[in-house]
Amino acid sequence: MKENSEMQRISRRRAVLKAAAAAVALPWVTVSRAAAQPLMVVSYGGSYADALKETIAEPFTKATGIPVQFLNTPDLAKVKAQITSGNVAWDIFDGSGPVIMAGSNAGYWEPIDTTIVNTSQVVGGIGRDRVPNYIFCGGVAWNREKHASGQPRDFKEFWDVKKFPGRRALRNRASETLEMALLADGVVPKDLYPLDVERAFKSLDRIKPYVQKWFEQTAQMVSLIQSKEIDYIYAYPNRIRVAQESNVPLDFSFAQTLNAYNYMAVLKGSKNRKAAMEYINFALRPDRQAALADKLGLAPAVKGADALMSSASRKWLPNVISPNNAFINDEYWGKHYDVLDKRLKEWILV
Amino acid sequence: MANTVKPPGTEFPPPIDLVDGGNSVGRRTQHQSVRRPPGRLQPSLITFAIGALLISLVFFIVPIALIVSHTGSVDKSAWQAFFEVVQSRLVIRVFLNTLEISALAAVLSVLLAYPVALHIMRQKARWKIVCLTFVLMPFWTSILVKSYAFMVILGDDGLINHLLRAISLGDGLSLMFNRVSVMIGMTNFLVPYAIFPILASLAAQNPVILAASEMLGASRWRAFWNITFIQSLPGVLAAFLMCLVISMGVFVTPALLGGRKDMMIANVIDMYVREILDWQSASLIALLLLAFCGAISVLLLKLQSRMGG
Repeated sequence: MKENSEMQRISRRRAVLKAAAAAVALPWVTVSRAAAQPLMVVSYGGSYADALKETIAEPFTKATGIPVQFLNTPDLAKVKAQITSGNVAWDIFDGSGPVIMAGSNAGYWEPIDTTIVNTSQVVGGIGRDRVPNYIFCGGVAWNREKHASGQPRDFKEFWDVKKFPGRRALRNRASETLEMALLADGVVPKDLYPLDVERAFKSLDRIKPYVQKWFEQTAQMVSLIQSKEIDYIYAYPNRIRVAQESNVPLDFSFAQTLNAYNYMAVLKGSKNRKAAMEYINFALRPDRQAALADKLGLAPAVKGADALMSSASRKWLPNVISPNNAFINDEYWGKHYDVLDKRLKEWILV
Repeated sequence: MANTVKPPGTEFPPPIDLVDGGNSVGRRTQHQSVRRPPGRLQPSLITFAIGALLISLVFFIVPIALIVSHTGSVDKSAWQAFFEVVQSRLVIRVFLNTLEISALAAVLSVLLAYPVALHIMRQKARWKIVCLTFVLMPFWTSILVKSYAFMVILGDDGLINHLLRAISLGDGLSLMFNRVSVMIGMTNFLVPYAIFPILASLAAQNPVILAASEMLGASRWRAFWNITFIQSLPGVLAAFLMCLVISMGVFVTPALLGGRKDMMIANVIDMYVREILDWQSASLIALLLLAFCGAISVLLLKLQSRMGG
């Protein structure tokens, strides 16, 4: 078995690695000893982690007495370092599809214990070792100050540079970008997978001269259109909503979106496996799902949570049933991300 | 023994010392290697080196050993992975790109730094401190903040283009998300690294020689080229080398300010480490980059010592 031979090879290098991993993991280890085994949740920091703390972690601690500690950021390289050194300091990993799938392929996650976690109400995306915690989406965004009217609303229009002249920006990663290219080229969302890769790159060839920036960081979704350097961008509405709330005149079109799951997984060898499963079960309660979605402008991943949300937040929900919108297939990316991402990055260069 | 060694300092300095006062960086090392027989270090120097040795052992040699240990780790043999890496079009393209961007940034930084260093050199002591503080300013500013500031200055809707349009000089220039913005961002960050070695080689020069040349009727330009500039060449090379090696590893500035063709090798390593989790390839690329920078350093340092002699 691949895992077994990997473990043997690892043990040979264990002495060296342990020294390095100890140095890397030391700060977390000391924290976990000081606070009587809190649950270590690694997530994107900032306002995102604040929302998780307020809506899930604090009520969870109140209900169970288990303290929860948040860490930044869901970096798979650090998971690999912890697991290969046998010194696992994190318990729950909160990350997007491609990262969770890469970890799943490498065998870094514990199987979800369905005797503790109730997954019956989850709308989709469940795997053996992962559970979705919300749905996010991406679509076209712009600066209202620069484009008061007549913006491209869906991906076909985003590609239509004659009708909507202006500088565009897209992500420099294969997932989402290839889907967007195919939808722009007229592929029906339900027929998206398996991706017609050649067609996607042909479609990207057409838009390439008008793409000023292939951006890497999610934060650039806002800064690039806020500074008016870019006219039309692929962005996440929760980011646009936060910008709007601080009076930055950005706007987002829900006419067509790419929807995707964000997941929770438990690290293999976690010292708090049972508490971690309890946390995940707690996070899937409809009222907690609604509270988190309210706070972050994301869609809940369980049935019955939508109805509990405020009407203001429901405006920002992606439409997950519209046939015009597509769902990212994380299983597909789990198999093809490496090859396609390298190919996209090389294509961007030439 | 036939070739007994005199203790250092008892010799007469060779006549060439009259030219540079025996102080310029490149030449001093030359002289020491001339005076000392090969293979014998002065004991006092070894004690001084222990601290630096320990630091480089802990923070450089051990991490490098760890990186090396990753090259032979997974399903592929190190050789197989090596051939895959050097045959990867992505890696080759990005590597050439990195070299081109780094060399250009290093040349521009040295060109920008030289006049500044010369100016600082000619100031009185108190002004020197003020000037050096200004030089160090960019060091104290986060690279992210600087990159966003450049967007505000260089952008299509930025300060420069607003000004150009206000005085009706056309539609403005395309300064953002291309090589221009990358070079501006990188030189801004590299110039301090170039100023200090140049300043050191200027400060080590004996001012008497310049005065002598003036007395003998050399014009200011002639005196500058034949005396000041020639003597500062080892410093210029050191500055170039420093900027080149630093920029080979840069990735934030090109990622934020550059266009689609401004991808750096550090971004590729990052992709292998964090996205694809292929630490074997990542380690190999990192080691190739290290070997390349090492080879360039050896070449340039050889050139520098030849210049000194």
